Amino acid sequence: MFQRPIYLDCHATTPMDKRVLSAMLPYFTEYFGNPSSLHQYGWEAETAVQQGREIIANAINATPEEIVFTSGATEANNLAIKGVAEAYFSQGKHIITVATEHRAVLDPCEYLQTLGFEITYLPVNSEGLIDLEKLETAIRPDTILVSVMAANNEIGVLQPLKEIGEICHQHQVLFHTDAAQAIAKIPLDVQEMSLDLMSLTAHKVYGPKGIGALYVRRRNPRVKLAPQLHGGGQEKNRRSGTLYTPQIVGFAKAVEIGINNMAKENQYILQLREKLWSILQQLEGISLNGHPTKRLSGNLNVSVEGIDGAALLLGLKSIVAVSSGSACSSTKIAPSHVLTALGRAEKLAYASLRFGIGRFNTVAEIETVGQAVLSTVKSFRQKAVLG
Amino acid sequence: MQIYLDNSATTKPRDEAIATMLQVMSLQYGNPSSLHSWGQEAAMILETARLQVANLINGVDSESIIFTSGGTEADNLAIMGIAQKYSHPKHLIISSVEHSAIAEPAKSLEKLGWEITRLPVNTKGRVNPLDLKAAIQPNTVLISIIYGQSEIGTLQPIETLARIAQSHNILFHTDAVQAAGRIPLDVQQLGVDLLSLSSHKIYGVQGAGALYIRPGVEILPLFGGGGQERKIRSGTQAVPTIAAFGIAAELAAKEISQETPRLMGLRDRLFDLLADCPYLIPTGDRLYRLPHHVSFILSNDFALKAQEVTGKTIVRQLNLAGIGISAGSACHSGKLNPSPILLAMDYDKNAAKRGIRLTLGKDTTTADIDWTAMVIKQVLTRLIPSCCHYADVK
Repeated sequence: MFQRPIYLDCHATTPMDKRVLSAMLPYFTEYFGNPSSLHQYGWEAETAVQQGREIIANAINATPEEIVFTSGATEANNLAIKGVAEAYFSQGKHIITVATEHRAVLDPCEYLQTLGFEITYLPVNSEGLIDLEKLETAIRPDTILVSVMAANNEIGVLQPLKEIGEICHQHQVLFHTDAAQAIAKIPLDVQEMSLDLMSLTAHKVYGPKGIGALYVRRRNPRVKLAPQLHGGGQEKNRRSGTLYTPQIVGFAKAVEIGINNMAKENQYILQLREKLWSILQQLEGISLNGHPTKRLSGNLNVSVEGIDGAALLLGLKSIVAVSSGSACSSTKIAPSHVLTALGRAEKLAYASLRFGIGRFNTVAEIETVGQAVLSTVKSFRQKAVLG
Repeated sequence: MQIYLDNSATTKPRDEAIATMLQVMSLQYGNPSSLHSWGQEAAMILETARLQVANLINGVDSESIIFTSGGTEADNLAIMGIAQKYSHPKHLIISSVEHSAIAEPAKSLEKLGWEITRLPVNTKGRVNPLDLKAAIQPNTVLISIIYGQSEIGTLQPIETLARIAQSHNILFHTDAVQAAGRIPLDVQQLGVDLLSLSSHKIYGVQGAGALYIRPGVEILPLFGGGGQERKIRSGTQAVPTIAAFGIAAELAAKEISQETPRLMGLRDRLFDLLADCPYLIPTGDRLYRLPHHVSFILSNDFALKAQEVTGKTIVRQLNLAGIGISAGSACHSGKLNPSPILLAMDYDKNAAKRGIRLTLGKDTTTADIDWTAMVIKQVLTRLIPSCCHYADVK
């Protein structure tokens, strides 16, 4: 078998933890029932779903009834934004979000614009953080929702959720966060952060693909949500469709493992990132994108001057799996909207690399990758000089 | 002894599907949109599955398959994805025996001002093509009729209905979630424009489904985001689950010529074994019927003799005996309401609470059927001492 490249693309997706896989297996082979069924098979599945719901609720200091399972974060984001817009439009048609949000937030916002909603896209500073004053002045009497992502998928920047939550709470505006990249990687607390809605996904925390959740606050205030998938009325009518028991079990296990080892794992991953950054800093004309410390421990996003980004990725392809931006948009040849929002020149933005370091990476891998990037960039530059 | 006879609710994932899924989960875990080799491997798996699913329904072009999170999403995408193209409310025709994943989106369109016609069915649950013809209006833009009904097993004359739609230039969708893998489906021959599928009804795993979209048919997405699935369905694809769907579809296509008659044999055997029980009235159509599907209602007579009996009573009793069946469709089993499907077939409100459904699967054996028939008779006997004691029945 050919030697596969080292995987450093944990913001796109993560390998599944073996413990997650073992937790899921019995729900494929033995306890495969439909959780809505009334017989033994159904009850076994329902119990597992309920346990999963509790684990995920506990992880964010919510109650189990506040968790709505979805097919992933994209669906959760769409449900949050369109669901709130549909339920609250009589109170106002203004939504505030940020220029650096994931497409799964920006797209539904753009869709709502076609229906007459007004969207304010908050700018970010050169380090990717929003300005709280700008947020506060953007809030209007007809603002119904503020959506700010917890951790950015390209540059890993962590927004000040608690402070944003306080502002939203004061102005009685609902607060949603896309925490797809953040769950089980940074502490999330819906009470402390005054969160009303939060999107989650499993496959960024070593869990299975195809499962996510939306946290929907039930008390102070009770968030109204218009369902976006209609049918059997599962999830208290908030999201129809047969619940995916094994995936829910895997999601919960992944979150549980992540939460239990969060501090230790962050320390380990941070050490790997610093190692990588210290190697890459030997390059001339390399700069870090995003805030140096207020970021996910596994994220390193750099721009290299005077290098063709696509060529660099191609040159590194056999050694390391990284990306130049978010995976979803990787098929488009366009500068990243996130880096553009940081004020990066378009040309520089092209030559950017996003490293997503994860649980299963080793120091040796980081060293190999670091050296490979150094030599590839150097050889590109030599070629350029030689003409 | 444990016997699972609720294969319309969900099926036990087959070994090959689990093995494929496990391999993808542990080795090919890349994001199919990533450009590196991990991503490309995942993308290749996705495309293989697309081909396998397309083959199951003779969808010549595998691009016509859009992966979703399941049948409910596929149904919603078909209805809402077409409806969203119109800025002004139009007319939608469905049947009165649709699964809620069609009936509910139709209701929400109705709230937006759409006209909805719900075609009546006969006492066996079949739509009359003449009723469809009569219902078509100049502003009709979509017709959606379920292929095989999940509660009563009745098959609709989809080919005839789709031809009518075609001759009026109206898009035709069918929810084939229960029919796929159980009867041969050919979208070319059927002439349908859209068709919904679900993995966990064909021995794949839960969490994957697909919408077949005939090339050239324009549809708008339900979700915005990264633009996966030709911009029709954003969200990272659940590659392992979809790979399992692919292999399940491939095997279903391979086995269908043997499995369909086998299931029909077992189905008829169960009907026959229970034919002498006067309190069980078969529901649905005996001829145009899903091959794995057996359904009854408890007769009025039985209800008079055994007070307060509903379909759920029987479900619970059978469960105690180790047999898993259902009282209607699983999605609704939490509610005590009369089944809208049985109501549409002219059963009264009380009778519509007394439905039971037994749905067979690829692991069901003759012995399972014989045992189940015996247990059902015992259960009924316990509820009314005279029931099903052949000697005692006058």
